[in-house]
Amino acid sequence: MTAVTTKRPRQALSGRRLREWLIFLAFVAPNVALIVVFTYRPLLQNIYYSTLNWTLGSKFATPVGLGNYRDFFTSGEAREVLTTTAIFTVATVGLTLALGLGVALALNRKLPGAGFAQATVFAPYILSGYGVGLAWLYIFDPNIGALSAILRDVGLNSPEWINSPRWTLTMVIIVYVWKNLGYAAVIYLAGLQAVPGDVLEAADLDGAGPVRRFFTVTLPLLSPTTFFLLVTTILNSLQAFDLLIAMDKLGRGARTLIFDAYLTGFKEQSQAGYSAMLSTVLFAILVVITLIQLIVVERRVHYR
Amino acid sequence: MNTSSNLHRSGLILDRRRFLGLSALGISAAALSACGGGPSTSGGGGASAVEQIDFSGVKPAKEVTFWTSNPGDSIKVSTEIVNAFNASQSDITVKLVTAGADYEEIAQKFQTAQTGGDLPDIINLSDVWWFRYKMNDQIIPLDSLFEALEFDTDDYVDSLLGDYLYDDAHWAVPWARSTPLFYYNKDHWKKAGLSDQGPQSWEEFDEWKTKLAATSGAKFAFQFPALAGYAGWTLQNNLWGWGGGWSKEESFDITCNSAEAVEALSFLKDWVYKDKVAGVAGVDQIQDFAAGVASATVGSTGDLINAITSAKFDVGVAPLPAGPAESERICPTGGSGVGIPKDISPERQLAAGTFIKFLTEPEQAIKFSEATGYVPIRKSADPAAILEKTPQAQVAIDQLPNTRSQDYARVFLPGGDLEMANHMASILTENKDVQAEMDSLKTALEKIYTDQVKPHI
Repeated sequence: MTAVTTKRPRQALSGRRLREWLIFLAFVAPNVALIVVFTYRPLLQNIYYSTLNWTLGSKFATPVGLGNYRDFFTSGEAREVLTTTAIFTVATVGLTLALGLGVALALNRKLPGAGFAQATVFAPYILSGYGVGLAWLYIFDPNIGALSAILRDVGLNSPEWINSPRWTLTMVIIVYVWKNLGYAAVIYLAGLQAVPGDVLEAADLDGAGPVRRFFTVTLPLLSPTTFFLLVTTILNSLQAFDLLIAMDKLGRGARTLIFDAYLTGFKEQSQAGYSAMLSTVLFAILVVITLIQLIVVERRVHYR
Repeated sequence: MNTSSNLHRSGLILDRRRFLGLSALGISAAALSACGGGPSTSGGGGASAVEQIDFSGVKPAKEVTFWTSNPGDSIKVSTEIVNAFNASQSDITVKLVTAGADYEEIAQKFQTAQTGGDLPDIINLSDVWWFRYKMNDQIIPLDSLFEALEFDTDDYVDSLLGDYLYDDAHWAVPWARSTPLFYYNKDHWKKAGLSDQGPQSWEEFDEWKTKLAATSGAKFAFQFPALAGYAGWTLQNNLWGWGGGWSKEESFDITCNSAEAVEALSFLKDWVYKDKVAGVAGVDQIQDFAAGVASATVGSTGDLINAITSAKFDVGVAPLPAGPAESERICPTGGSGVGIPKDISPERQLAAGTFIKFLTEPEQAIKFSEATGYVPIRKSADPAAILEKTPQAQVAIDQLPNTRSQDYARVFLPGGDLEMANHMASILTENKDVQAEMDSLKTALEKIYTDQVKPHI
């Protein structure tokens, strides 16, 4: 202690600083401990499992190094699953943001019943994904579903929503967007209400019409909101799961990366090691996407 | 103003960055979070000799838990049976837990429970899952328990108990056991001028289907079961009828791409794409059938009560038709049994056995069959009560002697059933080539055998 004090006198902890440090530690330690035990430990454990050939539930496993990764990336499965993941993510994020903004613009008026309309739009977001999936499955069912009855009435045949992989993916995207639209709408609505009236007024005085005002004033001022929504909806889409398991039982249409991890780990052949590898790949993708968003996209965001 | 707003601004950016960065890491880490305990990488994994547990001197535990997925909407009758057991004696209390909506969900919960969760004492295990539990050393052989508790094993229908025999030991007791049945809409039959009976053979139905399609007004003359729901099970009847099979009888020799199998499946595919009189159910064929979507379908005996009560027409039931290579109709058995986990105390295992004995006694077996439509699993069970209420159940009972144990490829290969469902979906819903699909299925099934089964048997 003396030696430290003589060598680095400036960094010696005064009694007060030590006390502050201990208080800080007392406040953060429980949280840090919880995060380490329940988040980072399983994360590392999962990376370790991804190097095993392990059947879920079995007491024994064989180390295979990077074998699971090699199998995934060389078998053609990677291309298929990552393409589905990309289609699902781009479609759901794009549609959720675009339609969410549209709904927010519609709701951003002082009309009677606006509160009720907002609550109605937001409600699906808080419903259980699995329940929503099951309910919509019966609407989409090409044989006995409500949608097929409506289509029949107007002389159309229902697409094979459940048995044709392409239609299954379309169905899941539609329902996912329906469920999450309210979230984007509510956040956008808050953003719209924060757009200062004086700036819009100034644009108006300068002769800008409503469309011009929207694209040159409102939309740029909403960019922090859009950025926030982009990050959160991409993360959510990449982890969408409950809806998929309810609507695509065999995983033939909407087999995204996380759904593939579930199916291989818990359903098909219970390959927990392989499934852990898929989760690790997903983790890496999430980290990369988040970094890109933070570094590149945020530069283009206009904060007031 | 500027300074404070700058501070606020930079604070906002930093907070946002931190928030987003941390939440991204947090969420993805949560996505990664697997279960608690892990496997050992030293030793084990190979085949081990069967060790029967010695129950002498063991006292049964006071409370045991029974996990079921309530096959055939059986929650009400199972609760009644559990209550009757609890009232019949004071030593053991059974707690009924709905541990999943179907056989896959309960299996998932059981597999997860192996790595750290609470294990049940009695588990409802399906035809395609028990062997996996046996291979992974997760359930116990029951023969010493049969002896200790004096089970009347001779009274169980031989083929049903025999289904759980492997390595000279029994790994489960039959419970919600079924066979597939041919369901038909009697009104549609009448309109088509057919007599009130099912077809003797699939070829006979082939002749009827066009007549049915022309007169019934239904979307399909025949509807295949939803592929996610055990397509590999009912189709065994068609494959066997043409002299094929997913694999050779009582063997892991995969034969799903044989000429016979391809012919059998091509025959069915033609109904969909050539004759356009058949289709595949989306969610549940019994629901569709009851709604009048199809004139005929194939479903489990466990669907019988459900079909009869939900249809607004007279439901006809017949044994599954035969194929050209068969002199008499043969159909597979299926459904689920009950077993006991390995990693619980002998006291709990003994108490579990006591309940299983009660659960499968003739009186309870009949009560269960009456409520669900599953076949009575005991020879001495008197089906009069069932037949009085549901005369159609006679067909299932009569069909029992003509059953054959399922192909190893479906029930002993982990995930084999789902591979079959996926390939059948390609054939029946995407018009893919039968031979190519069956070749690819064979490759997939052989890989599962080599990787996952061979090292353990």
